[in-house]
Amino acid sequence: MRKALVIQEDIIILKILERLVILNQYECRAIRSINDLEIEDQSENFDIIISDILFEGIAPLDFVFQIQEIILHKSLIIVTNMGQYKIEKDILASENVSGFFAIPLDMEDIQKLIA
Amino acid sequence: MEAEVLKLLIKLLLIILVLVYFSIAFTMYYRKWRTKRLKIIENTFAKICSLYLYPIPNEEPNLIDIQRELKSIGIVPNKPRNVQYLIDLMIRTQRSILGENYIKLKKLFTQIPPYGASASKLNSKKWYTKARGVREIYEMDQSQYTRDLIKLRNNDNIYVRREAQIGIVIFLGWKSLRFLPYLKRQMTLWQQIKIVEKLNDLYPVPDLTHLRRAYNSDRPYANELIMRIIRKFNILEDIAYIIQFIDHPKFETREAAIYCISSFSLTEEQTRDIKEKFYNISNVEQQLLLLKYIQRVSMEIDLAFYKNLLYKGNDIIKLSTADILWNNGYKEVVQEYYYQQYTQNADSQSISV
Repeated sequence: MRKALVIQEDIIILKILERLVILNQYECRAIRSINDLEIEDQSENFDIIISDILFEGIAPLDFVFQIQEIILHKSLIIVTNMGQYKIEKDILASENVSGFFAIPLDMEDIQKLIA
Repeated sequence: MEAEVLKLLIKLLLIILVLVYFSIAFTMYYRKWRTKRLKIIENTFAKICSLYLYPIPNEEPNLIDIQRELKSIGIVPNKPRNVQYLIDLMIRTQRSILGENYIKLKKLFTQIPPYGASASKLNSKKWYTKARGVREIYEMDQSQYTRDLIKLRNNDNIYVRREAQIGIVIFLGWKSLRFLPYLKRQMTLWQQIKIVEKLNDLYPVPDLTHLRRAYNSDRPYANELIMRIIRKFNILEDIAYIIQFIDHPKFETREAAIYCISSFSLTEEQTRDIKEKFYNISNVEQQLLLLKYIQRVSMEIDLAFYKNLLYKGNDIIKLSTADILWNNGYKEVVQEYYYQQYTQNADSQSISV
């Protein structure tokens, strides 16, 4: 079974994304922030990570780099409240980011990406 | 005797101290308990929404179960603060989801408690409750209450009527402009901007028939609002509407007209109109703004116009005019003007001597 990791601070978005991912035949690990990550998670190879970029104590771009460094994964999708064009451009310019969605978003778009 | 009084005082103070400590302890515990309750509500609500949008296969979401679940976490009519928290959560959720899920959520929210909580707020006597109710109605897209919002458009509280007017614009779009001539109270700049933004977000294609119907309105805020709409939607056909307010006697209306006209480029005829109206403006700062704009949009330097300003205008206007002429290759004209001033001065001096 494919594996997915969802990191969202907003519990409602987190739960909805979790359900969406599970319905697409993934094994899903859903956490509120990167602090909830456990040692075992870091040895997993996730097929997909859906994450926010706005967290306390870290700049959005640094967060993306850090995620790419510490967690093995195949593709990364960003879902965030921080939808400024400049940020989007910067993040999409880095490697391995396959999608950037600013809230409000249509879940169908994510479904297309992960199906 | 004095010792007795002091003892009594100390006792009294000690009692007050203990009371203060108790109240601090109580608030701390209460806060902790309350946050826990709110967290439970949030988690349950998140679970309900996610399961409603993406149900477990072969298991239809059961509305009665959902209602029962909400009741068990304290969403009951006699706990209005819990209900308010749930409404805030609903608004937040609805704002972050688009597409098919948005419609699904909207349907869900009409079927679970609190039923009509926002609409009942409209009858409240307190203005902030009323305004909040109006805001909830339009944020949650409950267009069945449009009629109630229309009734509130002239409310004497600025916040209530502001929210009501925004709600009307959201639900009726360009049609709502037909209310413009009938508004009885002042509309602030912030309110105008908000209305223009909402129109732009929700109804991006301008409906000129409804807009033009509002042109007859003689109220200053209505004129300002229409000018801002013309600017935002770039309605080139109706620039004339803005031009007619360039020399309006009211300061704010002129300000809005000059601000709005500056995002258009003009035909020759329109530029001529503006130059004519230029002399009627009584405020020097506004004249300066307009002068810069005229220079920016006109292809060639209209020497007659500038010369007139150079010889007859206010000192500040003269300076800017000289600046424009100097930078556009008419140094001689400026020099001529200043030399002529010197000779005048020299003449007057010689007379006084």
